[in-house]
Amino acid sequence: MIELSRDGLAVRIPEVHQDAEMCIDFQRTLRIPDDDREYPLPAGLGRFPLRHVDDFAARVPQQWVEHGGVMLPMYQSEALWLNFGGSFYPFAVKIAAGKINAVTGEAWRDGLNRHPQDYLAIPEQPWLDGYCVEKGIIRQFVAMPLGSGYSAEEQITGEAEHGGLQIEVYPMKREAYERLIAQRGRAARFDTGEAMALGAPLGMAFAPGGRMRQEIYDDPYRLEDWDLRHRARCFVHIANSMVWRSITGQAPPTVPPTAKEYQQAGIPWFEYYSDGAKAVGGSKILEKLKSVTQMGKQKGDVPLPDNESVEPYRIVELRKGLKKGQVREGVF
Amino acid sequence: MRIGVEPSFLSKVERGEAPPPSEAKIVALAQELGEDQDMLLALAGKVSSDLQEAIRKRPELFAALIRQLKDAPDRAVLRIVREVRDGNW
Repeated sequence: MIELSRDGLAVRIPEVHQDAEMCIDFQRTLRIPDDDREYPLPAGLGRFPLRHVDDFAARVPQQWVEHGGVMLPMYQSEALWLNFGGSFYPFAVKIAAGKINAVTGEAWRDGLNRHPQDYLAIPEQPWLDGYCVEKGIIRQFVAMPLGSGYSAEEQITGEAEHGGLQIEVYPMKREAYERLIAQRGRAARFDTGEAMALGAPLGMAFAPGGRMRQEIYDDPYRLEDWDLRHRARCFVHIANSMVWRSITGQAPPTVPPTAKEYQQAGIPWFEYYSDGAKAVGGSKILEKLKSVTQMGKQKGDVPLPDNESVEPYRIVELRKGLKKGQVREGVF
Repeated sequence: MRIGVEPSFLSKVERGEAPPPSEAKIVALAQELGEDQDMLLALAGKVSSDLQEAIRKRPELFAALIRQLKDAPDRAVLRIVREVRDGNW
């Protein structure tokens, strides 16, 4: 079951194991420059507000009600990352944007596949910031209006049908988990760490933005360790922030900082290392996608304001088990 | 420290020499420590203001609900939690 709790998705599968809990939240962040340089990970600037689609059924498209799930507000060309937290209990999490798998670029299909791996293994994977375009490189999730031609979905399928994010979660099998905790001794807690009125387009989709160093880790378990009989899934709709107030009556978050403002404010960047973990290769399908800037050039459009390159100077190294922003203790 | 509370104050609270901090400070502390805010509030003898507001809005309904469920096992309580509805996609 998935519950909406404090602007996050709390996943619990008590029928498999009482420890089978995790949470997913959606972090506001800096949109890194889309200039073909490679950037480190930007910080999280707080959670996006998350609401049940059903609570605003009269003011959202009928298709959203049919999909069910939740919604969050994003400005055009704003970026987002997914934060996976909770317990030590392992989960396999499949993430798609516009029903295009963010790891493989393949069209949505139920279940888990290992060759190529089309899911993330949690808690080994603490975050996901975008589409896996090369080994160790992602292109950031950047919100663009569905139907404008920029999204990965539209570039791959030629259709602007789904938009949003699709999440499917499978817990580890009870027996596999019990073997795992017997091996490790104990189950220690693992911290991973207005619209229609304005005529603004309502639904948003994710397009590939700037390049960022982030590895998608190879599943350290066996495919048969995952419990495919118990899944939880959720459709996350992305509403244009300009229409959020007219849907919900609540103000959307403020406009995120530009890369230049981020640098001037001295907000750090992060590099994450997980010793011993292996990264999966990038997707050949996703690698061929045009970034928002490249697509804009082709269309004779300037879709990303404030896209000047920056030189990240405060880079914090994080090791497995530490959160973005958490202080690492060195040797002294 | 980052939540705007002096360490000496927290140490007085721990020793029972000062009353617990405000709800806002406890929530900030919970976020900083990665702990559950309702759990920390309960330890300080408090109930989150959003829960109080929910009860005040529909007092009879929520009073009856809490009294009925107070001794129910966790799995029975979890069964009535509102799930995110999954539709057709």
